[in-house]
Amino acid sequence: MKLQKELRGWLLASPYLLTAVLFFLIPLGWSLSLVLFDWNLIAPVRIYVGLGNFQEALRSTRVLHAFVNTYKFMAAIVPAVVVVSLGLALIVHHLPRLKWFYAVGFFLPYLASGVAISLVVRGVLSYDSAFNAFLRATFGSAPRWLREPAWATLVISAMIVWKLSGYYALIFLAGLQNIPRELYEAAALDGAGALTQFGKITLPLLYPAFYTVLILAVGLCFGIFTEPYVLTGGGPRFATYTWQLEIYYQAFERFRAGYGATVAVLNALATFVSVLIIRRLVESWGVRKGFR
Amino acid sequence: MREVWKVWAFGLLVLGFVGMAQIEITFWSAPNPSQEVFWRRMAERYMAEHPGVKITVSPIPETPTSEAGILAAIAGGVAPTASENIFIGFGDELVRSQAVVPWNAFPGWEDLVKARNMEETMKSWIFADGNYYIIPMYVNAMLIAWRIDILRELGYDKPPRTYSEVLAVGERLKAVHPDKFLWLRSELEVPTWWQRWFDFFVFYYAASGGQPFLIGAEIVADDKAAVEALRFFKTLRDKKLLITEPLAAGFEVGKTIMTVLGPWTFPWWKENYPELVYGKTFVLTPPPVPDWYPADAPVFTFADAKGVVMYAQATLEQRQAMWDFIRWVLSNTEHDLAWVQITGMLPARDDVSTNPLFITYIQEKEPALLAYAANIPYAVPPIAHYQYVQIQELMGLECIYPVLVGDLTPEEGWAAWKAAVRTVLK
Repeated sequence: MKLQKELRGWLLASPYLLTAVLFFLIPLGWSLSLVLFDWNLIAPVRIYVGLGNFQEALRSTRVLHAFVNTYKFMAAIVPAVVVVSLGLALIVHHLPRLKWFYAVGFFLPYLASGVAISLVVRGVLSYDSAFNAFLRATFGSAPRWLREPAWATLVISAMIVWKLSGYYALIFLAGLQNIPRELYEAAALDGAGALTQFGKITLPLLYPAFYTVLILAVGLCFGIFTEPYVLTGGGPRFATYTWQLEIYYQAFERFRAGYGATVAVLNALATFVSVLIIRRLVESWGVRKGFR
Repeated sequence: MREVWKVWAFGLLVLGFVGMAQIEITFWSAPNPSQEVFWRRMAERYMAEHPGVKITVSPIPETPTSEAGILAAIAGGVAPTASENIFIGFGDELVRSQAVVPWNAFPGWEDLVKARNMEETMKSWIFADGNYYIIPMYVNAMLIAWRIDILRELGYDKPPRTYSEVLAVGERLKAVHPDKFLWLRSELEVPTWWQRWFDFFVFYYAASGGQPFLIGAEIVADDKAAVEALRFFKTLRDKKLLITEPLAAGFEVGKTIMTVLGPWTFPWWKENYPELVYGKTFVLTPPPVPDWYPADAPVFTFADAKGVVMYAQATLEQRQAMWDFIRWVLSNTEHDLAWVQITGMLPARDDVSTNPLFITYIQEKEPALLAYAANIPYAVPPIAHYQYVQIQELMGLECIYPVLVGDLTPEEGWAAWKAAVRTVLK
């Protein structure tokens, strides 16, 4: 009976396990085996380079740009996405009716194709768009949105914030709905205003949601690809160059599978360490404030 | 009942024998619907004449590019017997990886070269080991399209030839239409390697008389021509004649008056901008040249040229069958005419601008192609070095962008590119 139960459990878990083995573990093992070689996947001979790929990557200005830009994006995206998604969640939470209809509506950008959205943004920001024509007519000039480093970073960050806010708002919304109404009622009886209630009840009790959103958003910054690929190609002057662009460039344009895998491993390490640090910081902050 | 079974068994036996006798080969066409149509038709006709061969034609999977798709297929051991869409730089990568076989090793190679009239054309497709691994299918000499209707409005009856003439036209354009630009080239500020084929290569080859950038691993580029071309770009930008920001539509709607153009654009124009008529609203010329360029010398340009390779993963039997098929396709001039009719691109032949078969068709159906045909002899193919991606990307990063934004002078930008490429070539 027990064996049968265990078998059923394995059987039910097997689709996930199979997917994980096929599309995660095997490619991971394959990638790790590539990092020691200079190989384009088709040449009959793999050239063993030892740690040469790592030495090259650690000296590469392209990798350095990708590394630094990720934190620039993080600085722009993480606070913005937390504020916007929390704002959306609060609005939806206080709607008298059709809450889930609006929640799904805000979630839709997350499902939209990154390429399609990038092309739309490209059109909206093109020199002759109505928006830029308005700016020129009103202010005498319009920014070179995708051709100046600061503007290009801002545009891509804004796109990602727009895309993710609806998704993260759902996490906040679930958190908001788990806060017992009685707490607000008791606080109101004690004379607490809306702002005090928000600061003393809502924010502390949303800590688990904040924690989740923060970790997800930080991890996502290491995977940015579509928007800069379509809009800027990583430019101007590598201002929007990311880890994923470098992996793509090395593996699929220069056919350096070994080096591409090395950059991917470094990307994974950077992601892991960054998420770990952020996690520790947020956890210790939560403990200090008594949220955990 | 027993007879029915006998008939079935016999039928299966026959099918089995046919199946055993039939050679199956696969051909990957370029991921362009019209090229796929051409190869499918050729395969159908060939199979009708040769029942012992089964040819499966499908487009190259673009995962995410056709080159990466081919590489993944070779790595996975599922490469086709042959494919098209290979330019000489990627061909060099395949040759270095021993992934392709030379066409000239097959008996009858010389006959094919003669039959297709491509002896001159093939000279630029020879590899370092003296073999021919790519049979070129088409050569698109990149030309400059001018909005002749707007030029006429400005008082010019023909497009400018030299840089000074272009600048004069630009100044006149700005005086009459301050909101218009001479040239839209938003990709000029993006380092994507293949975009250089459609801007700097075109102007450099024109200025240099077709001098290659590299021979083998040595930089042999014409410095003076390169610097002049860069200076021209910079001047255009400084005078606000060149726009490098994205624009919804430029040349097509007359917001800009010149563009670098390949013939693949015509089917799209016919569908979306039928008002663009060759000779009436636009004309084609070779790229502008520096003022000192001799007036009677031919003007060179970049050739977007790609061809067919045979993969080493194919069995000897499949290779022979594919060679027979390719020889059958390319030995018949009617097939090259079908190529022009279906794809709108010119076949890589020496006689494309002289053979009455092509001339008659082009004059009747697509007169703009005549200009492309006439310029094929002056069209220089891509850099034939396996490091082409880095070499061309460095052009954007080290040279064009810094020059355009004023960080480097054209001389400094060009020197920076050469220094960076020397490191790569080491």
